[in-house]
Amino acid sequence: MTYSKPLPVPGADTKPFWDGCREHTIRIQRCKACGHLRRPPASVCPRCLARETEWVEMSGRGTVYSYVVYHVAYDPSFKEDLPYVVALVTLEEGPRILTNIVECDPAAVHCDMAVEAIWKDVTDTVSLPLFRPAS
Amino acid sequence: MHAVGALEAGICKYILISYGHSARSGGGMSQVLSRMAGDDAVFGHFGAAAGYALAARRAMHEYNTGPDTWKHIAVGQRKWANLNPRAVMYDRPMTESDYERSPWIVEPFRLADNCLVTDGGRAFILTTAERARDLPHPVVTIMGLGMHNPAADPVAARHLTGPTGARRAGEQAFHMAGITLEDVDACEIYDCFTYTVEITLQDYGFFGPGEGEEWFRGGTIEPGGRTPVNTSGGLLSEAYQMGLTPLTEGVMQLMGRCGDHQLGPATGNIKPEIILCSDNGGILQTHACCILRRN
Ligand SMILES: [Zn+2]
Repeated sequence: MTYSKPLPVPGADTKPFWDGCREHTIRIQRCKACGHLRRPPASVCPRCLARETEWVEMSGRGTVYSYVVYHVAYDPSFKEDLPYVVALVTLEEGPRILTNIVECDPAAVHCDMAVEAIWKDVTDTVSLPLFRPAS
Repeated sequence: MHAVGALEAGICKYILISYGHSARSGGGMSQVLSRMAGDDAVFGHFGAAAGYALAARRAMHEYNTGPDTWKHIAVGQRKWANLNPRAVMYDRPMTESDYERSPWIVEPFRLADNCLVTDGGRAFILTTAERARDLPHPVVTIMGLGMHNPAADPVAARHLTGPTGARRAGEQAFHMAGITLEDVDACEIYDCFTYTVEITLQDYGFFGPGEGEEWFRGGTIEPGGRTPVNTSGGLLSEAYQMGLTPLTEGVMQLMGRCGDHQLGPATGNIKPEIILCSDNGGILQTHACCILRRN
């Protein structure tokens, strides 16, 4: 079955993140000068303006910073998922990531809830990092 | 603010600031919003409502706001729209139970928490006070301006639950105007969503985090209330014309051009001398504050 939902469009800044997802790891950009972990990816560190960066692996554990429940499908391909949860998850290493909370009743999701990453392989080349309640 | 600079520098004599959009019939607004999504679309995350809803949900968690606060904003502004024949919602009253029955869009926002999408336009003309006094219409002057743009992407933002850019923009504008909150007769607040009104007034200092429900309760912002807010119905109930909905309403109130919703004895309010206006952009990423005075 073909995947009908939007796919990521990796750019120079975001390709290492999506490449990591393909290998089922969350990689976040770290400033080589000051160590700041930054997201969204960018060519310059927002703390110290250094350009040198490396990509480091996160544990995949975090907490829900905030979340919303979609009751309307802005794109028809999400209609089958309604109601679904979009969340900002704070990774235990510090940075935040936008994702879906799955394997959980939307009414049971709450801020600061512990979650862990799981992987959804949606095409031969794309895997999405989703989160579920921590086991 | 750029226009004031151009006038002060003598580059321009009169400046027309206008906005027009076939946002509803042309589908332009949904195109703008879907282009904003980028890779967030992968997770089914689109548009502005959900971005503000993320901020609002975190605010619910941190200081106990929520629909009980926002219903006062939606219902109060609708009462103003019901006095304004230009308003899209002129002939559609809303009670608190109507609000509570309004369908979820992106929870915690209901349909009634969302602004309208409207065809239309707005414009105003800015010139020096000296030139304005020679013109036939009543003059409204700018007492204070402030702008603050925290700019951060919501993923990285530390300010989603405040203080937003409204804090520093407001401080700058009040400092320039040389007045305090007590001197403000009415507010015209950029109200893309009900929560935006709460966080803006909170950051200006009208109440503290979590005190909004009590502050709004009892018709504070409605006709006859002690601090009228969004006296045309605002973006929620009059028309979405970006920041020009609040700013032009502030100007027209001070000029006395507002008909049945003109602040004064007929609405149970005092005739306004000073009106506070706001605008913001992105997901609480930019903010401008403008304080206007009659004459
Ligand atoms: Zn750095």
